[in-house]
Amino acid sequence: MFRGTRQGLGCFVGWGSLMDHWDVIVIGAGGAGLTAARHARAEGASVLVINKSFVGRSGATITSGGGISVAGETLVKLGYDVDGGDTEENFIHDTIRSGHFLNDQRLVESMVVGVGEEVSYLRDKGVRIGVTKKAPGHSSGRGIHITGPDMQRAVTSIAVKAGVRFREDFQSAGLLTHDGAVVGVAGLDRRTGEVEAIHGRTVILATGGTTSNWRLRTAPEELTGDGHAMALAAGAELIDMEMLQFLPCCLVAPEIWRGLQFPWTIGPQAGVRAWLLNKYGERFLARWDPERMELATRDVVAAASATEVLEGRGSPSGGVYLSWAHLPRDVIDNFPRWSKSYSMDWRWQGFDMNPLIDRIRAGYAIEVAPAAHFSLGGIRIDVDGATGVPGLYACGEATGALHGGNRLSGNAGSQMLVQGRQAGLAAARAAKSNTPPVTGQNWAELKETIEAPARRDRGIVPLEVKQRLTGLAETALAPVRNGVMLGKALEELRDIARNALPELANRTSDPGYNRDWSDALECQASVPVIEAALLGALNRTSSLGAHQRHDTTGSRPERLTHSITSRQGDELVYKAEPVKFSLLAPAA
Amino acid sequence: MSGAVTIHIRLRRDEDAARLTTFELPEPSVAGISAESWSGASVSTALQYLQRAVDPGLAYSLSCRRGLCDTCAMRIDGVVTTACTVPVHDGMVIEPAKPGIFLRDTIVELSLVRKARIGPEGQQGPVAHD
Ligand SMILES: Cc1cc2nc3c(=O)[nH]c(=O)nc-3n(C[C@H](O)[C@H](O)[C@H](O)COP(=O)(O)OP(=O)(O)OC[C@H]3O[C@@H](n4cnc5c(N)ncnc54)[C@H](O)[C@@H]3O)c2cc1C
Ligand code: FES
Repeated sequence: MFRGTRQGLGCFVGWGSLMDHWDVIVIGAGGAGLTAARHARAEGASVLVINKSFVGRSGATITSGGGISVAGETLVKLGYDVDGGDTEENFIHDTIRSGHFLNDQRLVESMVVGVGEEVSYLRDKGVRIGVTKKAPGHSSGRGIHITGPDMQRAVTSIAVKAGVRFREDFQSAGLLTHDGAVVGVAGLDRRTGEVEAIHGRTVILATGGTTSNWRLRTAPEELTGDGHAMALAAGAELIDMEMLQFLPCCLVAPEIWRGLQFPWTIGPQAGVRAWLLNKYGERFLARWDPERMELATRDVVAAASATEVLEGRGSPSGGVYLSWAHLPRDVIDNFPRWSKSYSMDWRWQGFDMNPLIDRIRAGYAIEVAPAAHFSLGGIRIDVDGATGVPGLYACGEATGALHGGNRLSGNAGSQMLVQGRQAGLAAARAAKSNTPPVTGQNWAELKETIEAPARRDRGIVPLEVKQRLTGLAETALAPVRNGVMLGKALEELRDIARNALPELANRTSDPGYNRDWSDALECQASVPVIEAALLGALNRTSSLGAHQRHDTTGSRPERLTHSITSRQGDELVYKAEPVKFSLLAPAA
Repeated sequence: MSGAVTIHIRLRRDEDAARLTTFELPEPSVAGISAESWSGASVSTALQYLQRAVDPGLAYSLSCRRGLCDTCAMRIDGVVTTACTVPVHDGMVIEPAKPGIFLRDTIVELSLVRKARIGPEGQQGPVAHD
């Protein structure tokens, strides 16, 4: 492999005519990216997977509960003993109804029809698969189970065996373009501090969601929406970015447990009749869903809980109370006997949950709040993962509109597998016919932007800006929103973009493992990502699924529209676009 | 029981010799951390605080924060474990998991795809069509 010349700051300059290039570059090594990589290899493409940190040790895939939705009839064809009466059509309809009809129905169909083949492949590779008997929100026990760590391990080793190559600790920060087409990626090697250009005939964005822009979250540390920002800059559109799924009943304290969904999993999610109470001890879900109460859908439970806090009826740590005190203790004590994901000693994921269980046994309630969990909106794609920008594809949680306004459990697992395949195949095929990439015309400019925080002697500490950004998203883009707060947040965000981003400066001059530098690049990405969500939220003036407006509850627009954001020059612009109902219309 | 605690971290950068450095952690509320005492916060949270407020050069890895990805593996009071799941206590000693695979400070080489990696250590470029 050719190396550029080292210059100042430890950066590489362009690769010139001797430039090496890949057929397909995949950014992000979660379930979606590695599935894309495998399929692209199977088409004969040379594939480089780039990941921000260690491959197989980052992203949401490893933390997943492991549900993967598959229609019963598909599972029966694969030889599983389940209810074959559950058709693909049922699965499609459940997904669209639960998404409040905001889904891109072609993406829904593609996921439902395509997931069987991917599951069958994983099973043939010896991956441990469990069958789900009852899946929350689905009209039947539709689906299978592969634990997050098992899934991440499987897709990693399959990709390695397929001959995929990797670049670790490489934080991608911009797409290289030539005459409007994407020809590679530029980023920071976190280990060495080198800023590099890597060229490819096609690029697939599989960078996951944007959930790390919120403070209370179930999701891991690194998901700031870097892929979304890169896509916008290259000319792609984002769709329905205001739609963010919150998981209700997550722990708010102590710090070490913040964001864990443990109470939810031993409460409503398991069908256990724990009560959600406000500071007056009222079961406030009676105001939202008097029939299902705490077992209402996740978007309703999240919105109800956030409303209590917003209206001043929350608990001291900014949540509400989840209580098992009306139930005999046996219900908790015997829980691990019937739920396989729990051990009798109450070890859960990496934690000993006994102190919490002891509090529940002693009759105390637990303070809980909705935590940012999953990005429903994202990069706009078609069923082949194409973004509309030549050479640029996307898949997995980085993309938007499959789930509409709310996601059913297990559907993200199906999404990453099917969309990974579609994008991998399409990119590999496109790579065969397009011409070898030439040096990105914007390389010098990208390099300049990436290096800027390292060049400045003094300025604003990136982490401070990051904290302002997460604080802003947390407050304005909460499960319940209002126009005034959204407007203020947009003003503050634009102030950050104008006055803080150009001043970000690393506090140390060491190029390698410079966390300030990584934080600075994440801030640069977060700003347009949060702005797109704010624009969508401001313009969607009525409540729909995950987007609940406290100031206009009840009213509905005449036409259901998608929020589309794109970049024009230095500005993000918003437009509303009517939703198409190719398979199922709201009246049906 | 709340209040400041002291922890010791073995720092090593580039070819410097490793040195055990002592850090004071102020009361959690002063450090901007939502726990009544440091026993309600993880070692990862302490490292984040120190990088933010005391030593900007401090290097650590963190991803899932729930003991699943092992990226935060380090040696804590002599035992290799995940820093995100271990509560802080006064006097604790934090070191890289294995000195032989250290990269910087608490970060060690935990790659699962080492043989298939390209990049700074210089391995193969694009693989031909096949
Ligand atoms: C706690 C939790 C539980 C869940 N449980 C379920 C479940 O039971 N069922 C279900 O269907 N879904 C579940 N989900 C959702 C599901 O896990 C995710 O949607 C899915 O794993 C996303 O896969 P992905 O490959 O698109 O992204 P990820 O797995 O998040 O991978 C993205 C990768 O991109 C990398 N990356 C990001 N930015 C850059 C950059 N700038 N440069 C280079 N690399 C970058 C990251 O390091 C990361 O490795 C859960 C999510 C969470 C957080
Ligand atoms: S950050 Fe994943 S195990 Fe600690």
